[in-house]
Amino acid sequence: MMIAYLLLGATLFALGVIGFITRRNLIVMFLCTEMMFQGIIVTLVTFTRFPLAGNPATLDGQVFALFLVAVAAAEAALGLALVVLLYRYHHTLDANSWRLLKDE
Amino acid sequence: MPALLVTFLVLGALGLFLALPGGRRCSNLLGWLLLAAGGACVVALLVWLISGGAELGWSIGLGLVGLYAALRVITHQKPVYSALYFVLLIVAVTGLLVLMEAHFLAVALVMVYAGAILVTYVFVIMLAQRPDPAVYDIRAREPLWGAFTGFLLLALVSGRLFTGGEPAAAEALEPALGPSGTVEAVGTLLLTQYIVAIQLVGVLLLAAMVGAIAIARRQVRPEADQSDIAEVAR
Repeated sequence: MMIAYLLLGATLFALGVIGFITRRNLIVMFLCTEMMFQGIIVTLVTFTRFPLAGNPATLDGQVFALFLVAVAAAEAALGLALVVLLYRYHHTLDANSWRLLKDE
Repeated sequence: MPALLVTFLVLGALGLFLALPGGRRCSNLLGWLLLAAGGACVVALLVWLISGGAELGWSIGLGLVGLYAALRVITHQKPVYSALYFVLLIVAVTGLLVLMEAHFLAVALVMVYAGAILVTYVFVIMLAQRPDPAVYDIRAREPLWGAFTGFLLLALVSGRLFTGGEPAAAEALEPALGPSGTVEAVGTLLLTQYIVAIQLVGVLLLAAMVGAIAIARRQVRPEADQSDIAEVAR
């Protein structure tokens, strides 16, 4: 059973990576980072549910996943505020239009 | 690495390349057919490896729904639909967490993601999206190399999953199941052993909130130079 969950978590992470690389819309790119978080959460909970041989059965993985959710919430708030600010500069959500770090 | 896994990886990479928005015509359907064939391969592999009974059926069903939603998030040309398919992904992941008896985490996931984060996303999309589809949503950036790189990473990870000897023996070696993540168990752990960490997370969330307000309130002068955008939008 463990392999099925781990495979799903890895697939979600890989799909998030692909979306982050290929999409050009800033909002969709942020959604893809959240998708990578989902893959990590599935993996952490799987290792909590099926502890590896020789390890004590604890709930540490789920607690860690909860902290991950909190960090994701903070990241989404800050990231979307930055997206709104960038949109007000150029009136576009294209990631390619932000090639220069300096203020023109 | 089993042949079915290799087939899944190859079909998935090819299908995702064709299904990504890339300005090509008539290739999306072929891409989805390839992705469906890859999904059938991975289901066959799991059914062949694992004799899990009802839990296997539930997890495969929820996993397929989650994978379909994830594919739609990264292939859909309209960001609003991407955000809504992300809600479907959250629901599928929540079902998997309930299957693994992580009840507290499942509730927190639905409340935080589907309740709070997605509402923020939809607000920003409504604020920033033009009515007509933009060129940066229609054309993906390097779909071939993106799909290749991502599935190479997946091949690396999933190949390690299946090299631990005979699969049946690996399943038999599994120890007893871990504890159930009820609200009582996880909450007690959070407020005793992890009390410092949870206070720190509270400080982090406060700092993020203040920072978001400070960033969003900044006054900007609208950019007059449109030539750069026109050059990039090719």
